[in-house]
Amino acid sequence: MTETTAPPREVRKQTTDRILGPVAAELRRSAYLSVAAGLMWPLQAAVLAWIVAGWVEGATDLGRTALGALGFVAGGAVRAALERLAGADAFAAADRVVERERATLLTREARATGPMGSAAVAALATQKLPMIQPFITRYTTAMTRVRVVPLVLLLLTLWLSWAVALIFLVAGPLIPVFMALVGMAASEASRRQMEEIGSMNDMLIDRLAALTDIRLLGASERAAADFAARAEGLRERTMAVLRIAFLSSTVLELFAAIGVAMVAVFVGFSLLGVIGFGAWGTPLTLAEGLFLLLIAPEFFQPMRDLAAAWHDRAAGLAVAEELIALDEAPRVPLIGRAVPAAPMAGPLRVRLDDAVAALPGLAVRLPRLDLSAGEAVVLSGPSGSGKSTTLAAVAGLVPLASGRLEVCGAPLGDANADAWRARLAVVPQRLHFAAEPLAAFLDPRGTGADPWPALDLARARDVVARLPGGLDARLGETGGGVSGGEARRLAVARAVMAGGDLVLADEPTADLDAETARQVIDALLALRDEGRALLVATHDPALVAALERTVRLPA
Amino acid sequence: MRALGSIVRLVLAAAPWAMARGAALSVVVLLMGAALLGLSGWFITATGLAGLAGAGIAFDVFRPSAGVRFLALGRTAARYGERILTHDATLKALAALRVDLLRRLAGQGARVLAQLRAETALTRIVADVDALDGVVLRLLLPGLAALVTYVVAFLVLGMLAGWLVAAAVLLGTVPPVAVILWRLGAASLGPSRAAEDDTQALRRGVIDALRDRESLIAYGRLMARETELLAVDGAARRAAAELDTIERRAGFRLSLVATLVTGLAILAGGFLVARGEAGAAIAAIGIFVAIALTETLMPLRRGFAELGRMTSAATRIVAVAGGEARPVFGEAPTLAQGPALRVDGPQLDLALEAGEAVAIRAPSGAGKTTLLLMIAGLLPAGAIDIRIMGRDVAAWPDEALRHVLTLVPQRSALIAGTVRDNLRLAADADDAELWRVLAAIGLAGEIEHRGGLDLRLGEAGSGLSGGQARRLTLARALLKRPRILLLDEPTEGLDDDAAARALAGVRQLLPDAAILAALHRAYDHPLFDRTLFLRL
Repeated sequence: MTETTAPPREVRKQTTDRILGPVAAELRRSAYLSVAAGLMWPLQAAVLAWIVAGWVEGATDLGRTALGALGFVAGGAVRAALERLAGADAFAAADRVVERERATLLTREARATGPMGSAAVAALATQKLPMIQPFITRYTTAMTRVRVVPLVLLLLTLWLSWAVALIFLVAGPLIPVFMALVGMAASEASRRQMEEIGSMNDMLIDRLAALTDIRLLGASERAAADFAARAEGLRERTMAVLRIAFLSSTVLELFAAIGVAMVAVFVGFSLLGVIGFGAWGTPLTLAEGLFLLLIAPEFFQPMRDLAAAWHDRAAGLAVAEELIALDEAPRVPLIGRAVPAAPMAGPLRVRLDDAVAALPGLAVRLPRLDLSAGEAVVLSGPSGSGKSTTLAAVAGLVPLASGRLEVCGAPLGDANADAWRARLAVVPQRLHFAAEPLAAFLDPRGTGADPWPALDLARARDVVARLPGGLDARLGETGGGVSGGEARRLAVARAVMAGGDLVLADEPTADLDAETARQVIDALLALRDEGRALLVATHDPALVAALERTVRLPA
Repeated sequence: MRALGSIVRLVLAAAPWAMARGAALSVVVLLMGAALLGLSGWFITATGLAGLAGAGIAFDVFRPSAGVRFLALGRTAARYGERILTHDATLKALAALRVDLLRRLAGQGARVLAQLRAETALTRIVADVDALDGVVLRLLLPGLAALVTYVVAFLVLGMLAGWLVAAAVLLGTVPPVAVILWRLGAASLGPSRAAEDDTQALRRGVIDALRDRESLIAYGRLMARETELLAVDGAARRAAAELDTIERRAGFRLSLVATLVTGLAILAGGFLVARGEAGAAIAAIGIFVAIALTETLMPLRRGFAELGRMTSAATRIVAVAGGEARPVFGEAPTLAQGPALRVDGPQLDLALEAGEAVAIRAPSGAGKTTLLLMIAGLLPAGAIDIRIMGRDVAAWPDEALRHVLTLVPQRSALIAGTVRDNLRLAADADDAELWRVLAAIGLAGEIEHRGGLDLRLGEAGSGLSGGQARRLTLARALLKRPRILLLDEPTEGLDDDAAARALAGVRQLLPDAAILAALHRAYDHPLFDRTLFLRL
């Protein structure tokens, strides 16, 4: 079930601080520039009122008008320039936040696997993170403006007419009250929208990965209908966010419009002499009346801007909450830094003693193991017994909760893991072909060596020779373009090219026919005959029989 | 640009009536805004005049002040209606476009499907479609509304306040704004496109890196890959920063034009007043209208700044949408005489009657997968003549073919969701039927033990062992009750007993189906009437 209550105030403050805290200085400068821009308008309004009042009172010479027009334009130019500068600071601040958060995601999610699917992480980094930007660029500015600009305009108004100031005082504070009410609904709607974006992405990547099956089952229409429900759900949730935003801005506009209309009517009646109160002693002049009318909308504007920024804040905080939840999620960290390193010195030896691997919420007991240079060892046992986890632990992909793992006589740790991995080659169970040409796939360490000898050793020369494009061909994610057996032989060739003196292979003969499986086993044996050690997880009897030593894992 | 045009048509066509009402309302909003400020300015100035002349009592204050209230409230209501209508219509059109793209991708041939990278297809359906929401909302509608508003404002101003003021407002605004927006569009095309393309590259790169995690770590390349991704991020953000600079420069220029036009309106009004050709109140209308019209300009700059992003996304989407796929719907062909399946090629001659089962044996890479895909209509058959129920496979519409023929491919995929979700992908069957099929192929016990049909599988169906997943995909195909069943390595990952039991279950559930299976073991199972060696 989704959490439907708004987070408590302290959590919201923490979340806000995390996003806005590091860029507070830029945001403050941007806000001050923006306030200065906002304060240009009363000056322009005064000039305008002076000109038009002059026309009424008979001061119609063109020179006076031209002087006023010049003043008005100068004020507008300064205002535009200030806003341009304020925008630059705000953008820079938002950019820094996105840079920092993205860098965190990019350098963490692959290092320490968390709970989020690959498509959801990508959506968070590229689709949701930019949704924080309006929150950063608008919220602080709107908050600062609302504290300064209406107050200044109120004081100016009060100087001319207490009645208009009273109208402002009554209509103004209604806006924040209403905003607070809307804010709660808005943050809930935003959170639900963010959730839907994540789940739509995850659902879609899943359907896309299974698209051939879906087609063959004649389920294209059904999958399309399922996805249509999802896309429709996202539309509904997006509309829910927009509807609240539009409705609240409409209500606020209504308050502002009523306020402005009241000011207009009051000023009109005062000028006609129908109303005799509201100004100090002398009746309101035309210039004063025009000025009041011109600044009335600007009195309400900062509050309306803040209301809009309130929605940006709801969206921004919803994303920030996801970032924080991801920070705190349980993870499986890798050992070492995953950088190229000089191979570890010393004769090859792997010793595993009383070791327990630490997976999230699950401790997997690993078998006792002692493997020396040139040896070939099979890990066998029913599925779920920890064969793959053992291989992962030896490769430093999974940390130990307890027990000992020694490589070349030293305990495996952050300091030596990369050097240790430089002596390894892997043949994984689930093949993944990255978006790169086959030549790059075959040469994982980027040595630039000739791949053909390795392809020969892995009985994969004909596979590449048959492919359109040969070594430049790009395969589908799971090896689309070649058969299952061919993909497996390419993976063995890759392990050959990777070098190293220990090959870790996870189910290397799965989904191969006996003849092809024999070829892969021969290739593995050829690797051993070259002096490399093998650690193979399998339940293929032919492979078990071909290697000299078997470590059985209990169920 | 042509691509953008077809997207505009698509978005407008999704809900033309709502869009038309929204467009009309957006013009109404702008006109009412201009009228509101114009009327208010005139009202105040005129009351000032009347007050000075001592004619305050005789002045009709009620009609103008009612007008002010009507315009203020009407504009607010119209704006709300306009936003709801246009956003709803656009989002509906985009949701439909996403589904249509998925449908088209699903209709592609086996080569395209095998080469399809899920993350690339995902960016098409998610990011590219997202990029298009502004085509109508931020480009077409505000542009048209602004244009109409200016023309109407010009005519009304001309009649009310004199053609000099009207001309100052129209000519002072439209040509310079057109130049600024055109230059904005031209200058931002590159950075806007680059920002979108780099962001999409980043999205694909993140998915690819996470899925390739283990080998990146094993070969010490993870940090290098992270550095690459950070560089892509840097490029995307640099393009976005450049775009922001260009956009803000255009915004600055637009503000400047708006201010200058107001200045012009002041001068034109002052000129008329000085020559005694217009009263102060009438001259004031022009100034206030000029100020109000400013609000038509600002929304345009965002739309023009997104032009590059929109065109590049539209081009990619139109490329997918225009790609030819097999016809999906249509009449099933009239069935001719002949066996359920007949394959006649240079090195192969096979006729399969209903209720018959044949095993194909061939070494890896001999082309058995290709043959099965050809029979299933996912690859062009070329020189081989393939007849389903006596009719050429190419003559079958996809929908009808899937009804009679099912292929379980070698690398079959499951989806995230419950076991029930996975099975019901094939057919609307009740739980009893699902259990019956699971029992027949010998999977019921294991599924029941692990939580039954509600057992939840992770991304790509993770959570089942290889053998369980294999049998679940088999069960899924059996639920379709096809008349022709093609199996590619159906016993993979199964021990001998489980394989024998599953194959027996296939025949038990589909006694009359013609079955063709490519396998390298269990070909001597009693299910099969004969075995064929394939050398293509």
